[in-house]
Amino acid sequence: MIRFENVSFSYEGNEQEGLEPVDLTIKDGECILLCGRSGCGKTTFTRLINGLIPNFFPGKLHGRVIVNDMVISETPMYQIAGQVGSVFQNPRTQFFNTDTDSEIAFGIENAALPFGELHQRVEQTEKDLHIEKLSQRSIFELSGGEKQKIAFASVYAMNPDIYLLDEPSSNLDMDAIIELKKTLQLLKRQGKTILVAEHRLYYLMDIIDRAFYFEQGRLKKIYSPHELMALTQQQREKMGLRATDLRAAEPSWHQIRSAGATLELKNVNLNYKKQRILENINLSVKGGEVIGIVGHNGAGKTTFSRAICGLHKEMDGKVLINGTVQSRKALRKHSYLVMQDVNYELFAESVEQESTFGIKNPDTELAKATLEELDLARFSQWHPNTLSGGQKQRLAVAVSMICHKDILVFDEPTSGLDFDNMLRVAQLIKRLAQMGKVVFVATHDYEFVCRACNCILHLDENKLVESYPICVEHEAQLKKSFAIT
Amino acid sequence: MDTQKKGLTVKDLVTTGIFSALLYIATQIGGIPFGMNPATTFYIPVGAAILAGPIYLLLIAKVPKRGPLTIAGILLGIIYFVMGMHWAMDLGIVIGGILGDIIAGSKEYRNVKANIAAYAVQCLGFTGSYIVFEIDPKAWAASMLESGNATEGYLDTMMSAYSPMTLVLMFGGTIIVAALSGWAGKKLLVKQFEKAGITA
Amino acid sequence: MNRQASHKWLWIDPRTKILLLLICVIAAAMAPNLTYEMGLVLLIACFALASGKVRLAIGGAIGYAFFYAISMFVMVYASETLQASLLAFLGLVHKIYLCGFMGGIIISTTKISEFLSAMNKLHAPKSLTIPLAIMLRYIPTIQEDWHFIKDAMRLRDVSPSLEGILFRPAMTLECIYAPLLMAASKASDELSIASVTRGIENPLSRTCYVDIRFHFTDVLVVVCFLAYVVIGRFL
Repeated sequence: MIRFENVSFSYEGNEQEGLEPVDLTIKDGECILLCGRSGCGKTTFTRLINGLIPNFFPGKLHGRVIVNDMVISETPMYQIAGQVGSVFQNPRTQFFNTDTDSEIAFGIENAALPFGELHQRVEQTEKDLHIEKLSQRSIFELSGGEKQKIAFASVYAMNPDIYLLDEPSSNLDMDAIIELKKTLQLLKRQGKTILVAEHRLYYLMDIIDRAFYFEQGRLKKIYSPHELMALTQQQREKMGLRATDLRAAEPSWHQIRSAGATLELKNVNLNYKKQRILENINLSVKGGEVIGIVGHNGAGKTTFSRAICGLHKEMDGKVLINGTVQSRKALRKHSYLVMQDVNYELFAESVEQESTFGIKNPDTELAKATLEELDLARFSQWHPNTLSGGQKQRLAVAVSMICHKDILVFDEPTSGLDFDNMLRVAQLIKRLAQMGKVVFVATHDYEFVCRACNCILHLDENKLVESYPICVEHEAQLKKSFAIT
Repeated sequence: MDTQKKGLTVKDLVTTGIFSALLYIATQIGGIPFGMNPATTFYIPVGAAILAGPIYLLLIAKVPKRGPLTIAGILLGIIYFVMGMHWAMDLGIVIGGILGDIIAGSKEYRNVKANIAAYAVQCLGFTGSYIVFEIDPKAWAASMLESGNATEGYLDTMMSAYSPMTLVLMFGGTIIVAALSGWAGKKLLVKQFEKAGITA
Repeated sequence: MNRQASHKWLWIDPRTKILLLLICVIAAAMAPNLTYEMGLVLLIACFALASGKVRLAIGGAIGYAFFYAISMFVMVYASETLQASLLAFLGLVHKIYLCGFMGGIIISTTKISEFLSAMNKLHAPKSLTIPLAIMLRYIPTIQEDWHFIKDAMRLRDVSPSLEGILFRPAMTLECIYAPLLMAASKASDELSIASVTRGIENPLSRTCYVDIRFHFTDVLVVVCFLAYVVIGRFL
């Protein structure tokens, strides 16, 4: 049982964020969805349960959180860890080990389980979660989805009563989300208490018992799944929530105003370490088109994205812009990649400096206007690292506009974004298309594709499976590409 | 709460581990080009000092406590030892780490000059093997190459080739380069990392 | 039961490997002549072969033969000045080669988890084993980060090469350090959170999934090396 006795919290040095008084009880075996916009307080809520508040994040805490007779603020972290398991968003930086089995055993090693039991638990975990084929692998060769599974397995092996998951779906493709759902159902059958903080809601609707909706640090309302499903699209979007049922999401067919550059790929083959990743790709796109690149994790979306930007070495075939063949170097001059982790492409000490960084004769007027347009001007003296995820992304886009790039590639631009920010990215991408740019978007996000893209490029099994414009005739095809039935 | 005041927290230890990895990579990238070339092999410590300054200074800024610098020195010593580097170099690195900790600690880890000095001392640790080598290169040549025909004349030439000048260049060069690298690190610290809010 | 038990090749305890490395260090420091050193290199190559590292064994032996030949050639044929400058270098090479060879074998045959288990058995304190584990685990991550950063630099027309460092040093280095250290800082936050929520602060001494223990083969290998080191001196 989890009991919040009039609990409120504010972070040290950042009084705005935090949580206003909450008083409630979560029964054993309940599955709770924590939803709301980014920064609404749902992560704070989970931290109060797993003890990161106040042990790791100092601040002002009032009231008591009681989990199975433990008062969290008075219990050392390692004791909480035995009963509350936490899985975080970015699996890449959660690993302590470099091989999968040792990582799964990490938590139970800390609990000093004897050798024989360690092995028994790890084996049982792998069996329960159907990840036997990941056994004895190196962490560095796993896909994002597989890493997520190992991170989860490591918590599962500790057999806690309560599971806290922070945006578990943000790095997953559609199939992996279905598997995640099955795992959550398994936990439910075991009678575990589950709390999921999540932006994507649709896959949780038939698992959860209650949904806590947070707004600006306040637990605003508790919904039953029925009530949540019954919200009209308008109501839901006003609350900043994503779709509860993807079947209801309709692609918006917006006209392509072809202008600007044309990009052609002729017989392009891509290899990685001498292994064929994608073969025989032929493609012709014009400025104003927004092409959604879809397919499973590991289908070659990233390789393809890098190739378009002239960053991938092992490539043959021709890439033409406006009919002239481009070298990789020339391609790099024309294109820009907005990475999934934009932190890697921000170099300067302020937003203003960043916008003209590396340009020999920067057009400061253009830079100013672009920052203004993307709602970044008021942060111009801030360090890029202090911006929110969505703002960093916009800054990267601003850079590409100031550098006059014609071809933009976005890699998973909406992973971990709430509805408002997703919408904002979609609008930004439409704006780029209007300016005559060619925009590629590698994504798993069906809602986002519906709002932003006008073409689909489906990659799988080393091939370009199909490409089609998004329109009424192709709706069934589109849903099939995303495994929506 | 009291865990935050005294001793090293898990976060401090994790930070130390990550920055040790960066120090290892940076010293290796700096050192290898020198090690490959017969003419510059004695200047590996100079090379090792080029790149790691900003990393070392950020580590101090993130964990301004007694311990991390010593741990980083020991870890570097261990990994260079397992990589098969000369034992005296590894020992030198460990000693450099301990001395660096003492030097930076004498000013509570908040004084830039002391921190840069600590970095220079850490880099001087890389000279360990050459100190051992310098002590008796003649014996080495004489014994190792007994199957060849090392003449007295040759040995004299060899001794003059790395006269004390080599030593001076190696030590002096390491200190100067380490100071420059540390200075660049301080610049970066002020310009970027403090503004970005990632220092302690 | 124990999935680590089935080893196709020679497998010895990491602690034994460290002991072998120490033996090599001592042997290299006291080697009476080059022939003796060559014998030791061959012995190490045999050890590599038995451990299943065929390429490493052959490469290591050939590499040594190459340096041996050069040393001999320089001694006999080179002019005195050339001798002087080259021999200083060769002297260091000979001092380092043995241990480097052995180190290479150790690194390529030992899993990080085995190494940590060994540290654990040697009763190293947590304040050393935790950073050590993190360091070993983070080195490949730096490589991944570097690939992303390199891509990002290229798209901004900053060359991530030696040329770039020479012609625009401040900007190029800033481009590398800023994202790399920012990522490191973020990783240290996230990794520490992921480890405290899995109970790393537990005062009990932690157990190890990978079990390591001494076997008869460990003794055998050590005896072989010791025997050569001692007896070789009198041959």
